Amino acid sequence: MKSLFKGAGIVMLAGAFAVSGCSGNGNGANNQSGNQNQEANFNQTGLPIVKEAVTLRMVSPKAALAPEFPEMEIFKRLEKDTNVKINWENIPDTDYTEKKNLLLASGDLPDAFYAAGFTDYELINYGKDGTIIPLEDLIDQYAPNLKALLDRRPDIKSSITAPDGHIYGLPSYEENNLGTNPFFHVINKAWLDKLGLKVPQTLDEYTEALLAFKTQDPNGNGKQDEIPLSFMHMQWCMDIAGLFGAFGLPDNLEHRVVRDGKVIFTATQPEYKEALNYFHEKWYKQGLIDPESFTQDAAQYLAKGKTTDETLGSYIWWEVEEVVGTERSKDYVLLSPLKGPKGDQIIGRANGGGPGRGAFVITKENSNPEITMRWIDQQYEPYMAAQIHWGPLDVVFKKDENGKLVNLPLPEGASAGEFRQKVAPGAGGPGVITIQDLGKIVDLEPRAQQRAKDLEQYYDPYMEKENYPNIFFEPEELDKINKIEPELIKYVNTQRGRFIVDGGADKGWDSYLKTLDKMGLNELMEIYQTGLDRYNANLKK
Amino acid sequence: MNQLLKRKSRGDIWFDIINYFLLTVIMLLVLFPLYFVLIASFSDPNYIYSGEVWLFPKGFTLDGYERIFSDSSIWIGYANSIIYATLGTLIGVAVTVFAAYPLARRELAGKSVIMWFLLVTMFFSGGLIPTYLLIKDLHLLNTMWALVIPGAGGVFNVIIVRTFFQSSIPDEMWEAASIDGCSNTRFFWSIVLPLSKSILAVMVLYHVVGFWNGFFDALIYLNDESKYPLQLVLRNILVQNQVNSGMMIDVESYAAKMRVTELIKYGVIMVSSLPLLVLYPFLQKYFVKGVMIGSIKG
Repeated sequence: MKSLFKGAGIVMLAGAFAVSGCSGNGNGANNQSGNQNQEANFNQTGLPIVKEAVTLRMVSPKAALAPEFPEMEIFKRLEKDTNVKINWENIPDTDYTEKKNLLLASGDLPDAFYAAGFTDYELINYGKDGTIIPLEDLIDQYAPNLKALLDRRPDIKSSITAPDGHIYGLPSYEENNLGTNPFFHVINKAWLDKLGLKVPQTLDEYTEALLAFKTQDPNGNGKQDEIPLSFMHMQWCMDIAGLFGAFGLPDNLEHRVVRDGKVIFTATQPEYKEALNYFHEKWYKQGLIDPESFTQDAAQYLAKGKTTDETLGSYIWWEVEEVVGTERSKDYVLLSPLKGPKGDQIIGRANGGGPGRGAFVITKENSNPEITMRWIDQQYEPYMAAQIHWGPLDVVFKKDENGKLVNLPLPEGASAGEFRQKVAPGAGGPGVITIQDLGKIVDLEPRAQQRAKDLEQYYDPYMEKENYPNIFFEPEELDKINKIEPELIKYVNTQRGRFIVDGGADKGWDSYLKTLDKMGLNELMEIYQTGLDRYNANLKK
Repeated sequence: MNQLLKRKSRGDIWFDIINYFLLTVIMLLVLFPLYFVLIASFSDPNYIYSGEVWLFPKGFTLDGYERIFSDSSIWIGYANSIIYATLGTLIGVAVTVFAAYPLARRELAGKSVIMWFLLVTMFFSGGLIPTYLLIKDLHLLNTMWALVIPGAGGVFNVIIVRTFFQSSIPDEMWEAASIDGCSNTRFFWSIVLPLSKSILAVMVLYHVVGFWNGFFDALIYLNDESKYPLQLVLRNILVQNQVNSGMMIDVESYAAKMRVTELIKYGVIMVSSLPLLVLYPFLQKYFVKGVMIGSIKG
């Protein structure tokens, strides 16, 4: 018996050695040769970056059905040009956060995280404890493209600089301004024509139109199945927040707007209350709002535009076709912001929307930070950035006579969004395409161009000038925000729904304000104001 | 037959009627969701949402399945899942039975100490990160062994099987066999195992279902997509078409994606649960018997 165990033990040990021997060998040999020849091997400028191939281990999320990065054309080209081989560890993007945390917590660190999606919290905390390294010196020395960009655009530099003055993560940005107003307000023009109404310019005309939709059977099926107005309560691109502008103070999903550098919480302002009263009295009471607006999910919402008989009178969504389908879309038109009872005509500007700042981080385990920085800097060259974000030349783009990247026709049966996922690391990847680059270096995809045109025509003239930028907070500030904000916003939104559905905004207003006060609204707004002031000060530096 | 009916009193008949009625209702409650998933996987999602799909598929479409099966990784996933489930079940059941049998025998020295050690693991675990580090240091990362070895021999299962052995293999049987010159090993193989088919079937089912449905271990330990089990592949297909919150920067057809997600959601459920639905009826009779014996007679 004893000898049997001994035997088994030896076999197991031998097995373990064999396994560890194999994998250990490969890594060790690579690293060593890398270290010894590092200086001689490294080119300060020009391509390739290294004379003899160097391997870096990088972890990156990828769209679930995209090929692994080594099979992506764009990275093959990059490897050929730079002579830097990347040992990719791709994780489906939905599982990425979990696995990233696991790697960071267990100390199983790669050389860098690519398309890293580090939150502000992670950037600061892992920056402080040294898990990821500060990059500003490396940028100065080894990243000419990125440095040029940051010199040209102090706002980008300001927003990627941590409150402690270091840059821990590199930016990712597609500056297309398409997100400035997500609330595209749509009305059924065919019905208006049928009922002899003109396209509403004011809120009251709009209310009239809705009422006519409800009572006069514009779809002519003899049933009162028309839904005058449907939306989704407090959801991106499908909420009525834009309509609050008719009362002088447009709202957004955070209820936070900026005027003359001052942060205002909209949901406690008199204009907001006035709007709620109007929506309750004129709309909800008369049955003009789809009651499911407060509960439905996107799938239900979208199904409403595609019922057998046309039933949707007016809705909010940033693309007409998606809700009602291409065939019916000609029945619908966009509405500019409506003039309110006092003549206000304004639409809000969505907050944030600045550059992402956690797109690339280098860890302390990286023994070749210069090579890594030079490698990633390639992707901040505007043409390369466009290809990293949307797909490579000859696959997605071709160069026209002016040297601009224009879209090639899509392969049969592929949708733009899906195709993009398969050929490029995508929106979260490092690289910045500025608004100046669009149209000069690269074209937006056709649908996005259409949206940009609509924005310009219908909304830009009425839009707020300022918004709340994407600000890098201190960890303590973040702690406080995270403690106060979710509950507070939840309460505000529940109340908003209640005031619209049940009314009583006038009666309940004082206790509503008091509750918000107790929940820490003032403290929250102070933090936001401090952050904004700091951001603006940084900008002037 | 007539006599049988006569013997029933009025109350009995009512009892039967109500009984059958209730059971039918319950059966429908259980069956309908399954059936709904089936027809929903063939229907146009817009109809599903407007509540028009109820008894029959409406707006018949195979888009969902086309989407699912157009992806070759699904077959790789199937193959992997079958390998993991088979191998994992073999290892798991073997470890469980080999651990449970000695523990069921009275003459094993130090039985209570071993049992105590096992029980401790039921209440305290190392947690995710230490486990991950262990797997990493054992160089099991990114291999199929990371899925099939660490979970083999769950204590809970060992207890069920041990109880089964204790209650259904009397000591007298061993005494009789050993008088006839039977060795421990032979007794185990030729007498204990054949008598324990039901509990083995239960264990097999537990393990197969566990491996078939499990995806978390694969998610944590595997990097290589060609090693992904079916569940992970299906999850990726589903997730890939899910609408993400990064819409601000991602200009793409939300609606088209929604539609596909809805379609493949149901299709994916069918594809992944079909093998188990097929397997279950064959194991069901053992299942009921095995678990009952294991649990009740202590």
